[in-house]
Amino acid sequence: MTAKTFKGGAHPPERKERSSGLAVERLRDVKQVVVPVNQHFGAPLQALVKVGDLVKRGQKIADADGRMTVPVHAPIAGIVKKIEPRTQSNNSDGPCIVIEALPPPAEGQEAPRPEDLVDFLPPLDAFACTKDDALARVRAAGIVGMGGAGFPTHVKLAPSKPIAMVIANGAECEPYLTIDERTMVERPEDVVEGVAITMKIVNAPEGVIAIEENKAYALPLLEKAIASSPRTRAGMKIRAQLLKTKYPQGGEKMLISAITGKEVPSGGLPMDVGCVVQNIGTLCAMVDAFKEGKPLIERGLTLSGGACAKPANVIAPIGTPVSEIVAAGLAQVNAEGIGMVIYGGPMMGVAVPSYDIPVQKNTSGVLFLDAEEAKHFEEETCIRCGRCMRACSCRLSPALLAVAIEEGDYVEAEKIGLLDCIECGTCSFVCPAHRHLVQRFRVGKQVLRAIKQKEKEAQNAR
Amino acid sequence: MPAKGMLLSSSPHSFTQISTSRLMLSVIIALVPATVYGVYLYGFSALALVAVSIVSAVAAEYAFRKLIKAPTTIGDFSAVVTGMLLALILPPTTPLWMAALGAIFAIVVAKEFFGGLGANPFNPALIGRAFLLMSFPAAITTWTMPNGLALAADATSAATPLALLKQGKALSDVATYFGASDTGAFLRQLFMGYRAGSLGESSIFLVLVGGIFLILLGVSQWIVPASVLGSTFLFAWIFGMNPLIAVLSGGIAFGAFFMATDYSTRPLTPLGQIVFGAGIGFITILIRKLGGYPEGVTYAILIMNVVTPYLNKLRVKKYGFVPPVKPAKPSKEASK
Repeated sequence: MTAKTFKGGAHPPERKERSSGLAVERLRDVKQVVVPVNQHFGAPLQALVKVGDLVKRGQKIADADGRMTVPVHAPIAGIVKKIEPRTQSNNSDGPCIVIEALPPPAEGQEAPRPEDLVDFLPPLDAFACTKDDALARVRAAGIVGMGGAGFPTHVKLAPSKPIAMVIANGAECEPYLTIDERTMVERPEDVVEGVAITMKIVNAPEGVIAIEENKAYALPLLEKAIASSPRTRAGMKIRAQLLKTKYPQGGEKMLISAITGKEVPSGGLPMDVGCVVQNIGTLCAMVDAFKEGKPLIERGLTLSGGACAKPANVIAPIGTPVSEIVAAGLAQVNAEGIGMVIYGGPMMGVAVPSYDIPVQKNTSGVLFLDAEEAKHFEEETCIRCGRCMRACSCRLSPALLAVAIEEGDYVEAEKIGLLDCIECGTCSFVCPAHRHLVQRFRVGKQVLRAIKQKEKEAQNAR
Repeated sequence: MPAKGMLLSSSPHSFTQISTSRLMLSVIIALVPATVYGVYLYGFSALALVAVSIVSAVAAEYAFRKLIKAPTTIGDFSAVVTGMLLALILPPTTPLWMAALGAIFAIVVAKEFFGGLGANPFNPALIGRAFLLMSFPAAITTWTMPNGLALAADATSAATPLALLKQGKALSDVATYFGASDTGAFLRQLFMGYRAGSLGESSIFLVLVGGIFLILLGVSQWIVPASVLGSTFLFAWIFGMNPLIAVLSGGIAFGAFFMATDYSTRPLTPLGQIVFGAGIGFITILIRKLGGYPEGVTYAILIMNVVTPYLNKLRVKKYGFVPPVKPAKPSKEASK
């Protein structure tokens, strides 16, 4: 199979070999979780529990009305200890529900029955139920895009345009991260099943599981799972597709152009070219939500980096402080050697001041970089070498865009395509002068949106 | 926690190993073959010329930066590149003080006055040469026959192939002048570089070696050189000149690979680069054909440098480009 790809991009050091061979381990007996109330892209939620409440595992603890909302569930059975603002993985404080696990039953006391501790939804056959029921289940299970953005999945699965293709995003182009890779190796059947469920919901005739060449060894496993799946036997068309290893291959837009040759129109969504793209973790969460009625209360993530003496792929309850995973011995961290802690990958992840911050629905990994890996450079002057121009996967002329923003010329910046920037950071990565390009674009986008908002208000006032 | 020395910064947190100084160093390496050949042709006085030009350029940048109390930038090696480039496009017999003056003018006036590396609108080395050509026209148009490793004092003055052609000499006469048996042999000789001319420009072969080295390293791209050489060939043919001679003589090849590709002064967009290169070829041929000078690469590139900011508007279509829907005019006026 020839590997497909997109134009542009870069090759940051992958460093996946540290954790790609490690089987996913499950973190058990978590004593305390800190569950952020808002973990999705959309409107804020309200906590449904109060301090002192006993919550079951899987019980809904936060929700709100509105389309762009996704409920949050208790990842463990326990007592709500606090509801207070805590630092989240996006480095800002937000309301969090702190749940303390129930202590083990004392001598002579009867152990609580499982049904008193677990509150899952009833299993649902995605292929027998109606589309609305399926979408309601996806929402009720609290499923969001687990690749990083946290977009409500039930919204993504209710497109207003016909869908021709469901793409499972197994590119995992961020360096270090290997959790999608491990999931595809260990649960290929569930990945295929997840694609099939998605295809059923959006009524798509074709499903594609896309993986980068650096994990080509997983391809036969996926193909075997596809061949033996009852869905493909029943006539559903699913295939696996190899992609070139290149950053940002896993970007939704790049993935779609690599596979279909089509480009998502500026300001549009994948559905505009008839595609729905789903993260590997999200697909497995959907399978669990239908098969077991299990809401999204735990997720897999990679712990790695130069200061991580023992890297690991783990499944941890949502809300587990990452320091707890380390304390449990699943991963070892050389605390003195940490130069930087990143939630997410090194290209788009967020640097945080502490790894007490809990795992969220969109935390695909936590990296402990050593001083060498975390090395930052002084910004020098732009020499106009044009490397960013060739690397930009959106063909946005970053060098010219940066000049326009520095000059405050937002008309020109918008024309060049500031709002089309996907903030992948490739331009900043390739810059020999270490210009803070994508950083300027992030700020510039906000300024431009504010300007446009003002113009709109002025127009309405007239 | 947070532990001491834990960095917080906006993503990305991974950076390329390639730095400005490494790019400049590759250009210096790419220029070495042409420089060595120049020394082989014109002796150690040529080496002195290169050395003086480089030292003057670096010293000028250092001194100017000190004077304006700005951080020193000589560590990026861009001044070395400018000094080296200037020496390679000067006649081998240029007095050393003149080369020094040209290098200082190039760095201070053409580069630092505009804000230094990346901000200069004109190619500094070419400005240095243009400055010397206007100030000392006799010295900068005096050429010598290659005389091996002998001292420059022994050099016999000579004419360049382009000057001879400008005077109306037949191609066969020019070939004989440089000791070639026939036109074919003369073309081969031009390609290898045994002719009168600027210090480093004569060997097309070694310019290609250096230029292709840079393209393979990804330091420069093929679009500009290809566009320059292609349009030179095309317009020479249109104007009834020998297109092969046009490409193989003068400074066009050196200019195409090392001057027109200068980061700061060429357009950034591919389409802009094509137009930029085509303009250089066209103006060069125009000057050669109709102008007062036998060679016009210097001015052709400088003139195209002027339009670079406009050529940057010739951008490629962004990903997912949707042509803007033009609002119907009458309705817009009606709303007012």
